[in-house]
Amino acid sequence: MDYLQRLTRQTKLRLFVVILIDNSVLIGGWWLGNKILGLNGSELIALLVIIALVETGLIATALGNYLMQPLQAIWQTVLHLAPESNGVAAPKPESLRFGRELVASLSAHIYRLTTMAQEAADDSRQQNNDLQRNFIAQNLPLPLFVLDPTETITFANEAAARYVGIAAADMIGKNVYMMLDMSFPSEETFDTWLKAVKTEKATAGSSWERVRLNVRDNHPARLFDLAAYYNRDNPQHVETMLVLFDHTKQYSQDDQAVSFIALSVHELRTPLTLLRGYIEVLDDELKDQLTPELQDFMLKLRAQADQLTAFVNNILNVARVDDDQLELKLQQEDWATTLKSAVEMIALRAQVRGITLKCRIARDLPPVGIDELSIREVLNNLIDNAIKYSGRSQVIKIDSYLNKEGLVETVVQDFGLGIPTSILSNLFTKFYRDHRNRAQIGGTGLGLYLSKAIVTAHGGNLWVRSKEGEGSTFGFTLLPYAQLSEVAKQSGDQEITRSAHGWIKNHSLYRR
Amino acid sequence: MGMEPPPNTSKSIRKILCIEDEHFISELYTRALTKGGYEVETIADGSKALEAAETNEYDIILLDLMIPTMSGIEILRVLRDPARVPPIRAKIIVITNLEQRDDVRADIEKQADGYIVKAEITPHELVEFVDNVK
Repeated sequence: MDYLQRLTRQTKLRLFVVILIDNSVLIGGWWLGNKILGLNGSELIALLVIIALVETGLIATALGNYLMQPLQAIWQTVLHLAPESNGVAAPKPESLRFGRELVASLSAHIYRLTTMAQEAADDSRQQNNDLQRNFIAQNLPLPLFVLDPTETITFANEAAARYVGIAAADMIGKNVYMMLDMSFPSEETFDTWLKAVKTEKATAGSSWERVRLNVRDNHPARLFDLAAYYNRDNPQHVETMLVLFDHTKQYSQDDQAVSFIALSVHELRTPLTLLRGYIEVLDDELKDQLTPELQDFMLKLRAQADQLTAFVNNILNVARVDDDQLELKLQQEDWATTLKSAVEMIALRAQVRGITLKCRIARDLPPVGIDELSIREVLNNLIDNAIKYSGRSQVIKIDSYLNKEGLVETVVQDFGLGIPTSILSNLFTKFYRDHRNRAQIGGTGLGLYLSKAIVTAHGGNLWVRSKEGEGSTFGFTLLPYAQLSEVAKQSGDQEITRSAHGWIKNHSLYRR
Repeated sequence: MGMEPPPNTSKSIRKILCIEDEHFISELYTRALTKGGYEVETIADGSKALEAAETNEYDIILLDLMIPTMSGIEILRVLRDPARVPPIRAKIIVITNLEQRDDVRADIEKQADGYIVKAEITPHELVEFVDNVK
């Protein structure tokens, strides 16, 4: 800088001297021509031009070498700094002469140099920013994921890798739903939110509580709060950011409620096991010796024990649904076989109340993708309800057919009390949440709440139609296995696992 | 139902070790299994049961999970230890009324040859189940 300043000052000074001399000579020439020689206008101009030319030539020659020194120095500097292959031929310093060529060459080099300096400055600023950003993101003590517009993970920090138990490098480039097996406590999931904001908003943010993440290798599931930020127009494709706030410890403490239920269930099941065992022994041994009345009592005893077993399972599963711990493994099953066997199991319960189950199953139903145990519970609940509310009616109809949407639909219809329209919409709410319901319609809420959760998790729908005094019809749909198996092929799983909250899990993946 | 299944005469009588601390349950199971043609030994204590399983030859071990002195899960782990030479030949069927977390249950099912919730089956159904364990 000192050198440049000195050079500027020197050049200014020299120019000043040159102009001073130049003007003095011109003024002297004008004075000489006008006053002494008495030249006319054109002669005077001609003289002045001659003087100017001679003088310029003299000054140029005299100052030429002197001025070239700093120019050559600048030139050397430029050559040293600017890369050789910049498209402008570098002249040899000793052959440098004043002229258009020199000026063009020099300005080209200087321009190039300036651009380079600018680029270098920008680069280093960018690099600094990147480094800084990277450092912050990497060392952020919270798991952080960045997604591009295709919901592919483009960045996962160290905390994220540790949390999920997968190296960041293995997550980058993968679909977020493949890597993060999240379940949400309500139907407002990250997935549905993201879909909505993508069509509606340029930027948006949201958060969720009690999200559950299933981690590979049978680690206990992680529980956390999730915050997401969406920015559609980000130039670096940082479209969506996810930050996880772990609360596994805190939330698992709430799970003790589930442990309590599990323990109670254990205590209930032991006497139940015995009860059913002794009933069977007595039934075997005494069958031929009992009066018809006592035989009937024996049947009722068995039916009641069966019902208690079903109820115990309900309690347990409701607790699991509430805690999002009910996992379904969907497998290919022949629906007619499953339905028939479930109806046979429950027929005894109907029989002891004088009710006949009339089961009609359409031929050639496609195989369904179900978790058989859970769907049996749905059937148990619907048929048990129908038995409970049949009143004096003695028939319950069970129909299964392929509906217009190509889904396997099963309908349980009773001709009993029916349900008041005013409470139809609350029917699938858990019973202890609405005490009026309980007073009016017994304890149905529990079973229906569970059934709804199970059917929904299967990708189906549970519905009700009822008229007071005419009976109720409950129906649910199931997906043919063919529809599910495509999904299984895509995700590479042999088995399709769903949580009770259902569709929620890996929704996008399943729909894609 | 009144007819008893014919005793298993086609091959030698299969031996069952029933590890179950609830006396009434083991009594019911022993009765049904004996009628089904099996030879049943019942042990209520975990450590003693493990010792028996390691020294005697059984075809099938029915294993309750909540038992005194040593848990069923622990017994399962010891018996199914991959480093064990020679491995235990018996098929192990877990019989429990305790509800497990899904991941725990999956772990147990991986090591055992069967998993039964006792309240879900009657003694007859247990015999049918055991008949099908090959």
